[in-house]
Amino acid sequence: MREKLNWFHVAVLVYMIEFDVTAFSLARVTAENIGTNGWFALVLTSMAASINIFLYWAVYRIGKGQSFFQIMESFVPRGPLVPAYLGLAAFWVLLGSLIGKNFVIVSQMLSFQSTHPMYIFLLYCLLVYAMLVKDLYSIVKATTVFFLLSFWMNALVPYFLSDWKAVRLTPFLFQGSERAHSLQGWAEVFTAFVGYELCLFLFPHSDRKTKLFRGVLLGHLLISAAYVTTVFVTYGFFSFQQLKELQFPLINILEYLELPFLNRLENLVFMFFLFSNLVTTVMFCFASLSTLRHVFPRAKGKTLETVIVCLVFASGFLTKTVRESDEMLRALYFTEMAIAFGLPLLLIPMAYFANRKGRGIEA
Amino acid sequence: MDIRPTPEEAKAELTLAYILDQFKDCADFTHRSFPNNGASVVYLSYLVGNDELLREIVKPLSGANDEEAAALLECDPYSATQDATACLNGILDGSAAIFFRGRAWLVGIGRPIGRTIEQSETESVIAGPHDGFVEDLYENLAVLRKRIKSPKLKTVFLSVGEITRTTVALVYLEGIANREFLGKLIGRIEGAEIDGVFESNMFIQLIDDNPNSVFPQYMTTERPDSIASKILGGRIAALVDGSPSVFSCPTSFFDFFSSPDDYYQRWMLGTALRLLRIIGFIVTIGFTAFYVSVTTYHYEMIPHTMLLNLTESRSKVPFPPLIEALLMETTIELLREAGARLPTKIGQTIGIVGGIVIGQAAVQAGFTSNILIIAVATSAIASFVIPSYVMSASLRLIRFGLIIMAGVLGNLGLFMGIGLVVIQLAGITNLGASYLTPIAPVNFRDMLDTFIRGPFWALTKRPSITRTPNKIKNKMKK
Repeated sequence: MREKLNWFHVAVLVYMIEFDVTAFSLARVTAENIGTNGWFALVLTSMAASINIFLYWAVYRIGKGQSFFQIMESFVPRGPLVPAYLGLAAFWVLLGSLIGKNFVIVSQMLSFQSTHPMYIFLLYCLLVYAMLVKDLYSIVKATTVFFLLSFWMNALVPYFLSDWKAVRLTPFLFQGSERAHSLQGWAEVFTAFVGYELCLFLFPHSDRKTKLFRGVLLGHLLISAAYVTTVFVTYGFFSFQQLKELQFPLINILEYLELPFLNRLENLVFMFFLFSNLVTTVMFCFASLSTLRHVFPRAKGKTLETVIVCLVFASGFLTKTVRESDEMLRALYFTEMAIAFGLPLLLIPMAYFANRKGRGIEA
Repeated sequence: MDIRPTPEEAKAELTLAYILDQFKDCADFTHRSFPNNGASVVYLSYLVGNDELLREIVKPLSGANDEEAAALLECDPYSATQDATACLNGILDGSAAIFFRGRAWLVGIGRPIGRTIEQSETESVIAGPHDGFVEDLYENLAVLRKRIKSPKLKTVFLSVGEITRTTVALVYLEGIANREFLGKLIGRIEGAEIDGVFESNMFIQLIDDNPNSVFPQYMTTERPDSIASKILGGRIAALVDGSPSVFSCPTSFFDFFSSPDDYYQRWMLGTALRLLRIIGFIVTIGFTAFYVSVTTYHYEMIPHTMLLNLTESRSKVPFPPLIEALLMETTIELLREAGARLPTKIGQTIGIVGGIVIGQAAVQAGFTSNILIIAVATSAIASFVIPSYVMSASLRLIRFGLIIMAGVLGNLGLFMGIGLVVIQLAGITNLGASYLTPIAPVNFRDMLDTFIRGPFWALTKRPSITRTPNKIKNKMKK
């Protein structure tokens, strides 16, 4: 029995894909690029992402639920598309890998200074493999549990309200940024929402009952609300100048957590971010896997999964420090954003003309 | 009864000579003739009851002439048979076969073999019925029939084991159980290849969706009330002859954490018990691992007042926390296994001796820290809170894996281990139904009877995992 997704699972999946390492530094990124009350920039960029989601909805409607590959190949022969497919697959593996590696470097910096990051990353890759070899429905089921293990962290917000001061927000909007307002600055804030575009690979696993885009939009709005709340709380917890200096404001704010029987709770709470980063890596790998499966339909057993995870591990050698990792990841996120906006703009006319051609043949 | 014959048996003609040949060299096989009418009776002497033999065979046949015997055999309880396999199976089931004028009849004169109904030792409840299933299949069926007095309670008999030909009875409610699951289960049982089956917990491993998983995938219980409620909920129960454990399906991971006791108490108390078991689950898999993680990598997490005691206690121990924890966990497992194998009275002594040795001497000898003793003992106690013994045993095994992961990579290792467990759970299905229902796929109504025990007025629908065609429980008042 092949299970179909439902909108709740899609929402959970999109929430977990978008929730990744960018969360740690999001408050600083907004402060540096946008300035005071940078949290409001998240509202605006989230709206831009929603418009992008609307474009994917258009692809789904016009293409009548056809997969990305079907739409592409209804217009362009398969042969010339293969290099593009391979390029995209490699890019998604690299992006997924560097998100995971960035998380590993941050955790190594926090708690395992004497452990080689690649050793931690190897274990991370084993987890990626364990999840990737399962079918999408099982991945989604695991993601739902991981979501429950991560979502509760939003309930920590009231803990910080006693030290939260409205005066720290300042009455100014978007002032005092490090650099002048630029498209790059806004794009950097937008990187927090990268990931919803993977809904393109959920088309074959959905039907009318799934209400796919209700799920995608809900998941996106949920993570937007979580990000806006977290960054808003951070803006009132630290001063604006502090925010610009702190590398990972989210981790810094977690350091204030304390229980009578446990100190330095961030050591524990931080580990819950493992699950969201894992899901992000796995879903980018899944996008790559779907593409490779289309290119190599005769690949046997778990060959493609094994190759992908080996590539994920190998890509981990590209970065050693947080700075290196941040820079490379930023470049990859920008590329992914271009892909995220570019793909529907390419697919909508393709799907439209393919439909007309199909109708012509029928007539 | 659907008993598959071997090809030779299927071809055989039913004659007295054939039956005698099949049972040759069986010292408990009896062949008796009645010269006054020429009838012959064969049976396995230790399977039949003396009173029944006298009443149904010896008395009527010894006084009857040729014509009277012929007339007698046309009446109940004698059933004519022409099938050699059915005749063989009938004799093996405790019937006697009567051969007269070249024809054969079977008459059931078996005596009950095994213990009478008594309380289950592995699943005891405080309030509620105390009867448990026994080894006899028909006794167990009777117990179920007594609880669900409905003609819609249907049974299907199947046989498993090439040699033992153990009978498996599937019990379900027509119109409530899902036919697709039933078909799938019958297919699996008929396809099971093994020479003999002796226990339900053994048999279910042959029909699992994921045979290599550490988690049990069918819920087994010795309690008739529990099975009756599962059947009413739309599940299918399967009874294996010779086993007091009855399994039901489809099963979710969370079914293993509920006990019939939850329903016999007020709902708030039942809910508190469920939550206690969830805490028990977290403690049993994670507490010792967390101790190892904190004492290996994250000393800063311990408040300084507690840190002094811990450091003092740990300073005498020559092993790293990982080895220390593994040693103690293994010792606890040794004690548990020894306690389970020994007779009850000696078992208690083992517990006391073990408690003193571990609790006092090991700490004094500098073999382990006293805080680890607390962690290990709490984890062990928490594992016994889980009502299902098989699930509790699986979780204890997983605990070892998590301890090693925590020893290798602290909290991150512990969380990676938890991640692996979740991924493993997410991949499991039972007859194709998700093992993580009602979390994934999510069903908020089902959660009312999963993490909490909702009040009966709120539990109006059958669990979604059963995919029952008849979702509403109490239609009478609606």
